[in-house]
Amino acid sequence: MSAPQINISDVASLARLTLTPDETAKFSAQLSQILGHMETLSQIATGAVPEVTPPAQPALRQDIPTPSLSIEAALSNAPAQANDLILVPRILE
Amino acid sequence: MSTPAKWEAVIGLEVHVQLLTQTKMFCGCTNHYGDAPTSHVCPVCLGLPGSLPVPNEEAIRLTLLTGLMLGCNLAPVARFDRKNYFYPDMPKNYQISQYDDPLCAGGLVPLDPFLFPKEIQDTAEAKAGRSIRLTRIHLEEDVAKSFHFEDRSGIDFNRAGTPLMEIVSEADLRTPGEAFSFLGSLRQVLLAGHVSHADMEKGQMRCDVNVSIRPIGQKEFGTKVELKNLNSTSGVRRALTYEIARQIAACEKGEAIAHETRRWDDQAGATFTMRTKEKAHDYRYFPDPDLLPVRTDQGLLEAARTRLPELPTVLQSRLIQAFGVTAYQASVLGADRVLCAYFEKAAAQAKSKATVANWILNDFLSTQPDPATTPILPEFFGELADLVADGTINSAQAKKVFAELMANPASPREIVKRLGLAQISDVSALGTYCDEAIAANPRSVEDYRAGKTNAINALKGFVMKKSQGKANPLQVDEILKAKLSA
Amino acid sequence: MSLAYETIATLRRRLLSKEIHPRDILKDLFTQIDAREKTLHAYTYLHRESALAAAEKADLSLPLGGIPIALKDNLNALGDPCTCASKILEGYKAPYDATAVSLLRQAGSILLGRTNMDEFAMGSSTENSALGLTRNPWDPTRIPGGSSGGSAAAVAGRIALAALGSDTGGSIRQPAALCGCVGLKPTYGRVSRYGLVAFASSLDQIGPLTRTVEDSALLLSVLAGHDPRDNTTDLRPPEKFLTQKNGSVQGLRVGLPKEYFLPGMDSETESAIRSAADWFKKNGATLVDVSLPHTPTAIAVYYILATAEASANLARFDGVRYGRRATDARDVLDLYHRTRSEGFGAEVKRRIILGTFVLSQGYADAYYRQAQKVRALLRQDFEKAFTQCDLLLTPTSPEPAFPLGERTQDPLKMYLADVFTISTNLAGNGAISLPCGFTKSNLPIGLQLIGPRFGEETILRGAHAFEQAHDFFQRLPPS
Ligand SMILES: [Zn+2]
Repeated sequence: MSAPQINISDVASLARLTLTPDETAKFSAQLSQILGHMETLSQIATGAVPEVTPPAQPALRQDIPTPSLSIEAALSNAPAQANDLILVPRILE
Repeated sequence: MSTPAKWEAVIGLEVHVQLLTQTKMFCGCTNHYGDAPTSHVCPVCLGLPGSLPVPNEEAIRLTLLTGLMLGCNLAPVARFDRKNYFYPDMPKNYQISQYDDPLCAGGLVPLDPFLFPKEIQDTAEAKAGRSIRLTRIHLEEDVAKSFHFEDRSGIDFNRAGTPLMEIVSEADLRTPGEAFSFLGSLRQVLLAGHVSHADMEKGQMRCDVNVSIRPIGQKEFGTKVELKNLNSTSGVRRALTYEIARQIAACEKGEAIAHETRRWDDQAGATFTMRTKEKAHDYRYFPDPDLLPVRTDQGLLEAARTRLPELPTVLQSRLIQAFGVTAYQASVLGADRVLCAYFEKAAAQAKSKATVANWILNDFLSTQPDPATTPILPEFFGELADLVADGTINSAQAKKVFAELMANPASPREIVKRLGLAQISDVSALGTYCDEAIAANPRSVEDYRAGKTNAINALKGFVMKKSQGKANPLQVDEILKAKLSA
Repeated sequence: MSLAYETIATLRRRLLSKEIHPRDILKDLFTQIDAREKTLHAYTYLHRESALAAAEKADLSLPLGGIPIALKDNLNALGDPCTCASKILEGYKAPYDATAVSLLRQAGSILLGRTNMDEFAMGSSTENSALGLTRNPWDPTRIPGGSSGGSAAAVAGRIALAALGSDTGGSIRQPAALCGCVGLKPTYGRVSRYGLVAFASSLDQIGPLTRTVEDSALLLSVLAGHDPRDNTTDLRPPEKFLTQKNGSVQGLRVGLPKEYFLPGMDSETESAIRSAADWFKKNGATLVDVSLPHTPTAIAVYYILATAEASANLARFDGVRYGRRATDARDVLDLYHRTRSEGFGAEVKRRIILGTFVLSQGYADAYYRQAQKVRALLRQDFEKAFTQCDLLLTPTSPEPAFPLGERTQDPLKMYLADVFTISTNLAGNGAISLPCGFTKSNLPIGLQLIGPRFGEETILRGAHAFEQAHDFFQRLPPS
């Protein structure tokens, strides 16, 4: 398998990034070089290897309320707010 | 031109259910609606940098319980995944959900015939007794609530991160009525397990519908359309009825069905295109590295098992067998566990248990009581039924006792005494009334003897009037007949 | 001598004997900061007033009572900025404490300041900071390493006694090596990540950068333990580390992984590491040749998994709830694009795009899932190696600090320099870097000791014995 050609703008758009033409050119070259290096992985035999770490019982949370932030603290970093709601520009479907 | 009868619809549902937990899915904020905006948020559910999720074990138990109630296969190890997409109501711009290893897979929802729309409960469709297969049940976090203003939107993050259980059905449903019954039947199970209040009109249960049509007999599915903005069970039914007709009309005109999401407008009674699905979302699911796999086989599953309630289908058969109620009554009683418990108490000692059911479901229920708090003891209904059964009062008197019971709750025996209602069953007293009736109505006597048997009713009426309604009508009937044929 | 030159252990003794007051330590540190910070630019923020106020109220009975500590600028501390050296977090003030920060506070320490870093911890040179670059105290024309470059430069430059860093692929150990101080990356799950702004959640660990191994153990003893807010922390009970210091390595089996000694590596680094290995042998340890056969894949695995996780972790920076918000956005989608495109630097964008790509439809199997499988193999390599030895001894970095600006245009070359540190993050093991020599041009060289999972005590004992037998940790950078 050889390194794929990434459509940088499509991928950037999935990540909600807009790239300048300069960035697009530079990143394309750099990423194809990096992906080229990653091709070494395709040669590793991994048939019998479990994909994720074996399960352990983590500490779950009991269903008991703990204090929330005050409304003031919760909104303290909001770039725009009104009536205790965080405001954003129009949401288009 | 072919008739619409040659088409069938193929329907699948995705049902989101809010769980009855104290706290959110991954943080300790209160899981409660209707409070001041932004009053139940913390670094975790606001997606602040550096915060980490920790799963609510009760939400996992409730999901496992749902799986147990619906006969799902329960995963010994379940995982949480990240579903990536940007939306302002989603604080992290990924939703913690389950993709590859959900808590429950498979399962069945039996359709309760009496949870079909009323007017089609007598049809073959309702009586078919179908069960709908489930694909899976998984647990995820809900998003925040947005409010749309003219040029801006406001977001309240109180709902963000609350537990949400998603139940996905196979495309087994064929009619709007079945979809209606599916939601009702599923709700009964969720209520039985105290998993959710599951009220669609309160948003506690939300439903997306996938629907397509195909000619009857064809195996392949048609092009699927997703319906959104369905806010009630009847809305689901109306939307499906409209949409199926729309698709059939389009197909018969030779038009192609677009693969799209359509919005149901309840006011307009129609669906409208929301967005086309040319470009599928790329959600880039991957296991959430902040959350270790959850072992359900180390106590969680056992804890869920101890909470298994009597399922609606089991309860209904028991009611029919043990109390002689009708299937319809069993369904009504099964739908309200508090009322059902009330009924069971009422009927426990009664001789005529089926009569108790009639009193409670017809007369009592029409007064819109709260069986949990009513001062009318359930035992009163058992007593009332017994008073009729043993001939102490007749059914007309029973109505009076019932009215008095509602107005001034007391034991029906007391009421009978208080109102002096006891039925006259004394043969000699009744014989005197009957003789008077025969003497006063020679024409009716003549008619009766001439073969007009209905004429006896006038004589009976006379006796009832004379006895102020206290005469035992069955005995009066017997005595009159004996006297007339003598 | 300025108190800024002392270790925490010494200062604690002097504080307890009432010979000095916490304010004396701060005064000396601020004098030192005033003299050197202009050159080094190790800090993004200093708590001058609040630190002095805290010094007056310090509770010396606590384990770190009266000791000032610096935080990497990706740890949330209530009321303070937390920039992650990114424009996108402009104006953000943390409404909560990271668990590590609240543990430091509970242990009596004083927050001194916040240290510079590569933006969102993405880099190995601290050149990817939106708040300016940090210089190496040993040679200000060179990088301090990264991403915890500010923490390492502050500790090595004697303008902090100790600092917390975070290590995702070597971000504590590599700058510690390049600046000549001690950097410990604990075992994954040892220290709570709650409040550490995530880069790659399955790899990130918080750890201390200190002058000495003893100080490192002191800080780890405060930080380690299960946290109910971090599902990935281990459930074992808290431990106190390095309570006994006999300085012996007698009987220790020290493994030398052959994949870490490659032909063509920097000769000064190689000879310093070989002498360190010889020292262990001379002092009663056994040297064992071991193999970690999947080492050549580690960089590829790391850059796939770390960027994949980062692409999701950094999605929350969207201008909606906190931080920078682009102005004049037409709608929400436009707001996202503008905020993120203006707010993130080039390396962050590059990694988000790479991470988004390796998870995307059609490529996730070949990249993300294959990398997960190879990661399991890498972990097995370590498990096998630790059946043959107690510690692994390797270089921390293949070479000493390189000149500023040398690699900013060549990300792959920059990534490849992480080769010796990355595997331990993938396997989850703990590891330390400590000074083991200097080049002819007086640049520090770092020795890495890797332990089995949760084998920090062994790591610290070995490192402490080596450190105390040498004078590297006492050498001062030119002032
Ligand atoms: Zn919360």
